[in-house]
Amino acid sequence: MATGTTPTAPLTSAVFAILLSLAEGEKTGSPSTGLGRWGGKHGYLIMKDARAPEGGGVRLGPGTLYGSLDRMMRDGLVEESGVSDDERRRYYRLTNLGHSALAVELERLDAAVASARSLGLLPHGSRS
Amino acid sequence: MTRTPPQFDRLERFYALALRLYPAPFHDEYGPSMRQAFRDALRDRTLSRRSLIPLVLRDLVTSIAKEHLAMLRDTFARPALIFNALVLAGISTGVALALYAIPQQVLRQGLNDPQLQLAGDLTARLEQGIAPAEADPAGSVDMARSLAPFVIAYDDEGRPLASQAHLNGKTPTPPSGVFDYVRQHGEERVSWQPILGRDHGVRIAAVVQRVNGPHPGFVLAGRNMREVEAREEQVEHMAGLTWIGMLGVIVAGTAVFGRFTKPKTA
Repeated sequence: MATGTTPTAPLTSAVFAILLSLAEGEKTGSPSTGLGRWGGKHGYLIMKDARAPEGGGVRLGPGTLYGSLDRMMRDGLVEESGVSDDERRRYYRLTNLGHSALAVELERLDAAVASARSLGLLPHGSRS
Repeated sequence: MTRTPPQFDRLERFYALALRLYPAPFHDEYGPSMRQAFRDALRDRTLSRRSLIPLVLRDLVTSIAKEHLAMLRDTFARPALIFNALVLAGISTGVALALYAIPQQVLRQGLNDPQLQLAGDLTARLEQGIAPAEADPAGSVDMARSLAPFVIAYDDEGRPLASQAHLNGKTPTPPSGVFDYVRQHGEERVSWQPILGRDHGVRIAAVVQRVNGPHPGFVLAGRNMREVEAREEQVEHMAGLTWIGMLGVIVAGTAVFGRFTKPKTA
């Protein structure tokens, strides 16, 4: 059941990595299903994105991934796209609420990085 | 079509078996997709087997525990189920209390039967004017060790006149409040503790009666409670275990019932 409210508490690393992976897919628009249009990402693609440094460097196993996706669907952050090239593969995409949650989290992290930089904990000009 | 290495098939079969350890609704919903993700990971040449297998094993352990906990949380968050479980827990608590209280009362009441008989007989003889030493011939019951019932005759001031029992070589006297009460009400049944202490104390189930007539006084008939208290303790343990067992059955039953009646959320 979707709750319909943007999460205000910091997201878990798994949830953040999943949202980031799905958002990245939308931006690049790569047709991950092989059906010629953006239809979301399937489980292993999300795991692979999350493992990459730019995806958060989170090592997700299938259990953690699908457990997180199950709760995120109930919270209304992601949904199944309904598009599939293989019945064993399920494809997921962000909802509007998922976009908002990711934006809130990125702003929170950005503010933390800016604060660390102003305190001299992070050199100016370094990647954030 | 590429041929799958046999070790991949074995790993995949093992993973498919391990997936059965997840709660059934979760397994039914995501099992095939998780298996597919594992299959994809096995075939991903950028990912080493050495890092994949420990990751998957760790993930199995943590996520199986997490999903079972989440299922229990969902189950016990349903007010109707919790209400039913609480009602059943209340009933089982009542049953367990009855299992303790009824035998305990039967044991405790039965403990006084010989004393009532002895006290009544001695009181009647003393009221007939028979001398205490003659009516209550001296005995050698050690109140701390023996389970035999005994009687003691006291004068109107509460001083021992004749006794069948002794404790550390002396005839003990109950608190004066007991005599005051018996003077007003005729009889009192008390648990008397002439030596205090949980392990080495002496507890006596005593019946004290008033002696009227030409030489007023009191008669105390008593009996060491040690054996009956041991039986009461056994009854308490049995009732406690029964209570814990019933609560366990209620919790497990509620979890199983909740699992099979879980509303579909998807």
